[in-house]
Amino acid sequence: MALRLNLYHEVIKAKALKRRDPLKISIYALSAIAALCASWYLLQLVNMHNLTADLKRVKGEYDKLEPLAKASKKKEDALTQQGKLSVQLEKRMESRFYWAPLLAEMMQLVPREVQITRMGGDVTGDGIRRCSLTIDGLSAGTDPRKVAEDLRTSIADKFSAKYKNVTSTFKMLEDGTEMVMLDGKQMSTATFAINVQLYTGEDKPAAPARKKK
Amino acid sequence: MKDIQLGKEEIQKLVLGVLLFFGLIYSYFDLLLGPLSKHQDAVRLSIVALGPEIDADKAQIARAKKMEQEALITQKTTRQVNAMIPEGSPVAWFPTHMAEFFKKQGIDKALTRMNGELPDKELPGYRKLVWGVDLPKVEFVPFAEAVSVLENEEPLFEIAAMQIDASREDVGAQHALLTLNNIVRQ
Repeated sequence: MALRLNLYHEVIKAKALKRRDPLKISIYALSAIAALCASWYLLQLVNMHNLTADLKRVKGEYDKLEPLAKASKKKEDALTQQGKLSVQLEKRMESRFYWAPLLAEMMQLVPREVQITRMGGDVTGDGIRRCSLTIDGLSAGTDPRKVAEDLRTSIADKFSAKYKNVTSTFKMLEDGTEMVMLDGKQMSTATFAINVQLYTGEDKPAAPARKKK
Repeated sequence: MKDIQLGKEEIQKLVLGVLLFFGLIYSYFDLLLGPLSKHQDAVRLSIVALGPEIDADKAQIARAKKMEQEALITQKTTRQVNAMIPEGSPVAWFPTHMAEFFKKQGIDKALTRMNGELPDKELPGYRKLVWGVDLPKVEFVPFAEAVSVLENEEPLFEIAAMQIDASREDVGAQHALLTLNNIVRQ
């Protein structure tokens, strides 16, 4: 086997050493990392720009809608108030106490042996309306007290069909001093005063109970 | 494999290089990427937070529009009531109105005077006036008919009290006194 001498081995070794120079490799590696980081940062900057643009758009929309929404809220409140007023007015008109049917009933109830000398009444209350009626009169007959009593009970019976909690009581019932002529006969009389209480309408709904803390 | 022999100076350079590398990495994350990330998160949060508010505003505007369209129906009563109340001071028109009404019902004399005003918080923009209507000579049946017509034709009037007295002079005639509540504009 022939002996071969590589006289350039030192040069080749130096070249190899130069090629595997750690400083150079480190610089390459660091440059790569730096480039990666810079790219990532740039990407994030682009993202940020897009997000800022989105925010600007959304904020612009919000700024445009906000005054409109406030104005709408005010309008809605005003409309709600007006609606409530409308309902309240309607309720007032519908919940009125009607005297005409009561007077009509009274006309039918009073017999010919009775003369009403005074009738007065008033209505109070908002939800449930309470009507107090005072009927003063003169009854005549063989038993004028019974005539008055019949009137009192018939008032209670007749009104109970139409109104709530009807009470009909005598405030006063006394024998009269005068005699009257009825059907060609002299009849004794009695003076009476009847108090009638009756209720109509719906009660207001109760306020919701407060929650206990 | 050949052992790498590092001198003191080289080790110092290496340590310094490593320190510099970590310093740069730290600076990159802490001074550049970190604040950017935080800013991005804040912007995202702002966008997310504005979303429901925009939705709520849109819903509010839609609701108001719908109510506005429905207002024509819901405020019908108010418009009708306003149309029923004549212009001007009630003292000027109410007594005349009552006198004319009872005259039409065959009751010639009706004296009306204002008794006062009742507060009514449930009806803003309106007030309730109390009137006394004196009918010195009425017959019961025409009077009851007049009351019936009044209650049917005038929904803003309510008879709060009434008193009917038999006249001593004229057996067929009664003296009636009505207390009327009337809703008028403020």
